[in-house]
Amino acid sequence: MPPPPAPTAVIADDERLMRDQIRNSLKEAWPELTIVGEAGNGHDAIALVQSEEPDIIFLDINMPGIDGIQAARALAGKVHVVFVTAHDQYAISAFEHGAVDYLLKPADAARVALTCQRLRERLKQAPDPMNDLLAQLSQRLGGDGSKPREYLRWVQASVGANIRMIPTSDILFFRAEDKYTRVQTERFEALIRKPIKELLDELDPKEFWQIHRATVVRVDAVEQVSRNLRGNQVVHVKGRDDKLEVSRSFNHLFKQM
Amino acid sequence: MNTDARSTTTDNAAAPPPSGTRKALRDIRDGIVVMWWGFFDWLAVVSWMKLLLVSLLLMVLVGGVFQRPTPVFLFIFVSLIIKIVAGGKRRADLTASEATKRAETEQLERTVLEARMEALQAQIEPHFLFNTLASIDQLIQTDPPRASRMQQSLIRYLRSAMPQLRDGSRPTLGQQVELSRAFLEIMAVRMEERLQPVVSVPEGLKSAVFPSMMLQTLVENAIKHGLEPKPDGGRLEIGAEVVDGQLAVHVTDTGTGFMPKSEGGVGLANIRERLRALYNDRAELIISVPPAGGTCATINVPYEIAPSST
Repeated sequence: MPPPPAPTAVIADDERLMRDQIRNSLKEAWPELTIVGEAGNGHDAIALVQSEEPDIIFLDINMPGIDGIQAARALAGKVHVVFVTAHDQYAISAFEHGAVDYLLKPADAARVALTCQRLRERLKQAPDPMNDLLAQLSQRLGGDGSKPREYLRWVQASVGANIRMIPTSDILFFRAEDKYTRVQTERFEALIRKPIKELLDELDPKEFWQIHRATVVRVDAVEQVSRNLRGNQVVHVKGRDDKLEVSRSFNHLFKQM
Repeated sequence: MNTDARSTTTDNAAAPPPSGTRKALRDIRDGIVVMWWGFFDWLAVVSWMKLLLVSLLLMVLVGGVFQRPTPVFLFIFVSLIIKIVAGGKRRADLTASEATKRAETEQLERTVLEARMEALQAQIEPHFLFNTLASIDQLIQTDPPRASRMQQSLIRYLRSAMPQLRDGSRPTLGQQVELSRAFLEIMAVRMEERLQPVVSVPEGLKSAVFPSMMLQTLVENAIKHGLEPKPDGGRLEIGAEVVDGQLAVHVTDTGTGFMPKSEGGVGLANIRERLRALYNDRAELIISVPPAGGTCATINVPYEIAPSST
């Protein structure tokens, strides 16, 4: 009867020192385990598993591009996953109920030996698809999944010759001007190429209100609403003299004011 | 016995009168003083128009109805004199004391807020600490001299980052740059060629006053959101200059660039709040996009030389 083939593994971590460390401690704890490759990011890790088909992957959670959780999801059921992390309280508590093992950096010899012991047992079975664990992890670590809709927090606009990122909380109002949209803050004005209609889709409707075909105002920047001689509502903005007319179709916004 | 008892009661009741009367008199005097000052304050702040109206009313009521015009005229005359002579000063005193009280409260609120936010910003990320310790652990086995240098950098970083270890003097740009330099040395060992740090702060600006931990927050942001997510990494440059009496400190990276939908981090909001608490509108944080991509964060504060500590 031929001996079973030697188990194989890959290591994925964005820091070379950490890959070296895992490699060294595995050499001590499990000399028969062959490391068939290393990856410095999630993307390379997935490619490596697909080409080398290892039994095990030691996967860092924080990696550039595709992170460890996303990589694990892509590889679920194909390989036994051991997560490696420096400090993730949430992750650790999740692992404790999970199907896979984890290692804390820097991993001490006894803990690595325990992981290897568990892996030897686990290798007899097919890799766990880890559905529950991954869902739990990505939720706890704020990964993707069913997140609420995201709105603009920063607006990229040109101020003179420079391009600036302006926090939406600094913006008093937007105003359509020819091909551009003017962004007004308390200190300066800036221009963006995006038409106001497109912009509206990306702004938080709780934060910004359209009050006119050409005007969108930040609700918190409204100081008061008065009426002009023609009987139209006019919005006064905090810290500036601008008076913004409210068109009739948006009058209802300020009804209770 | 009955009489005795009665006499004792009367005695008891009769004994206090002198002190009771004195007390009552004192109460009345105090009352008059309070009323007088109340009247004085009212006189000081009341508008001339109102005073005129009250005078007219008194003239009509007391002078017209009760046929006693002289005291009324006397009263009005005295009021006018008091208002002219002392009113202005008294009114100024009142507004001044009120303004001082308000300013003191505001200043106190600002100081408390700033201290709280500074402490928040000075928190050392456990992730950074544990990763660095893990790296040192590995280097001890493979490259002990390098492990020692990295540990020295970590010690320098921790010493300057811990708020309770700083003395009371105002932080300088030099200290802040050294703190970030130690941090960058550590990160350069860990990230290898993915991080190319450049520190180009003129020697002459190192004695300028610069708030603590703000530069460090910008540097950490540039690495975390700009360079770490980019598989090839890039350059991070710290620069400083003085323009029109304002000290501008830049952190520029060639990373992935700013995500318009990202929360922007607590760090940046914290810097904005602290700048407002420390300098009101004389300081600002500007995030811009360099023509070559990446992100440039600039903090502008009034240029001020720290008094030398020797």
